[in-house]
Amino acid sequence: MNVFWQEIKANTKALIIWSICMVLLVASGMAKYTAYSAGGAGSEAIKSLPESVRALLGINDFDVTMMAGFFAMLFLYIELALAIHAVLLGSGIIAKEERDKTTEFLLVKPLSRASIITAKLCAALVNILILNTITFVASDFFTKQFNDGKAITSELLTFFFSLLLVQLLFVTLGAFFAATLHNPKSSGSLAVGVLLLSFFIGKITDLTSNLDVLNVLSPFKYFDYALMVQGDRLDVLTVALTFAASVLLTVGTYVFYRKRDMSV
Amino acid sequence: MYAIELKNLTKQYGAERGIIDVNIAIEQGEIFGFIGPNGAGKSTTIRTLLGLIKPTSGSATIFGKNSVQHPEVRKEVGYLPSEVFYYDNMRVVDLLKYSASFYKKDCNKRIQELAKVLDLDLKKKINDLSFGNKKKVGIVQGLLHEPKLIILDEPTSGLDPLMQQRFFELIEAENKKGATVFFSSHILSEVQRLCDRVAFIKKGKIIQLERMSVLKEHSYKRVVIETKTDVDKDVFALDGVSDLKQAGNSVSFIYKGNINVITEKLAQLELINLSVEDPDLEEIFLHYYEKEG
Repeated sequence: MNVFWQEIKANTKALIIWSICMVLLVASGMAKYTAYSAGGAGSEAIKSLPESVRALLGINDFDVTMMAGFFAMLFLYIELALAIHAVLLGSGIIAKEERDKTTEFLLVKPLSRASIITAKLCAALVNILILNTITFVASDFFTKQFNDGKAITSELLTFFFSLLLVQLLFVTLGAFFAATLHNPKSSGSLAVGVLLLSFFIGKITDLTSNLDVLNVLSPFKYFDYALMVQGDRLDVLTVALTFAASVLLTVGTYVFYRKRDMSV
Repeated sequence: MYAIELKNLTKQYGAERGIIDVNIAIEQGEIFGFIGPNGAGKSTTIRTLLGLIKPTSGSATIFGKNSVQHPEVRKEVGYLPSEVFYYDNMRVVDLLKYSASFYKKDCNKRIQELAKVLDLDLKKKINDLSFGNKKKVGIVQGLLHEPKLIILDEPTSGLDPLMQQRFFELIEAENKKGATVFFSSHILSEVQRLCDRVAFIKKGKIIQLERMSVLKEHSYKRVVIETKTDVDKDVFALDGVSDLKQAGNSVSFIYKGNINVITEKLAQLELINLSVEDPDLEEIFLHYYEKEG
């Protein structure tokens, strides 16, 4: 438990900063809604954009003049931000002992390596859950503010549940990299690199439907936000597969971290 | 049951040498010195013993247990690494309490005691500390749970002579209470004053294991003299003299053996200058152990 609390404490400051930034992102993003929705003129302008441009802006499937559609456009950036947070957190929380050369402190304590991983992953889980919740509450609040008080809470719940799964996937991906790679300094940048690559793959498959098979490489495309806008539930199979991938990465984290020589 | 037992312990980093076939058995209550030049494999041996790295072959046990399969055995271990690194933005006292929290006993009194002896400010942040003060944190951290086995890797580097003195007293006191001490160093004299037995390691291999009583019969001195007149070559043709160099009327050599024998010799000469120093370990190795290793 002491490692868990130590990690919670060590990440508090970062969590607060991330939370403030997410609230500001949601607030400033929603403030632009009036420009899109007012009188429908904005909507006409958007509809007249070529499809590829709309795809790059992340709005080709959504009616951005409606609150849920507009939020779906904004959500892409929220998702990207929280995914970056998750992947950095996951790799950092494991790699930091080697990066800061504190393995000779922590790993000679009467703890198994597995129990250290468990404590750290739990702490990371709490962090992503808190950040997800705060962003959800902010989104719910600001969508009401700019939507004449009408809430889209049930759509938002679907959005943020799917986001939690994406965060989970990236936090375990980061941890997996940190557990397998020998150089603790490279795991964070590599994890972010993989994340950005998967983000761009998602962008590319937006442009042409021929490459849709590549979507499996992009967790940003696992969930269909156009359907969520219409109030649909999440696809159970996708949820299960995403979760399974996280579990697999977690198992890999334990296996590799237990076997490995620590760099000191 | 031995406090530490290393059997044919070998660690190779790819093609690189780590340690080869290390065999050591340390009795409980013993102070055991582990001596070798930098890069000989001292830290590798300790890290393998503690489970930070895995042996290529052989086994390492603490109180009869492998520390990876039985991490609980580490409760009895206090470890001071050669380079101390801690969580930078923690305060010293918080770090020590965090460390204590793993041992499930109240260590507060002990922390205060040790900090007082070592003159360590507990309220400071870790990253505001000098190297020597970080080392002190390491010492307190290694001793606060009153471990039965104390593993020290180059413990005195960074400590001033007064602190070294206090540190040795602390270690001696712990040993009197029953703790086993494994003391790794590249400075022979500090091992000489504390240890019961000493193992010499070089290039990853144990080349000599001696009782301290045997070692203490010999002191190793590097002697350099300048004389008024030329010295006869045969004057220093003694047992225990090596690395003899003579240039005109200046002579230098390393001496191993009874000090009185050599001072008698020197007294017969008319000297202009004399220096007697502890040779460094490399020199001792080179001239006394190389052949045997």
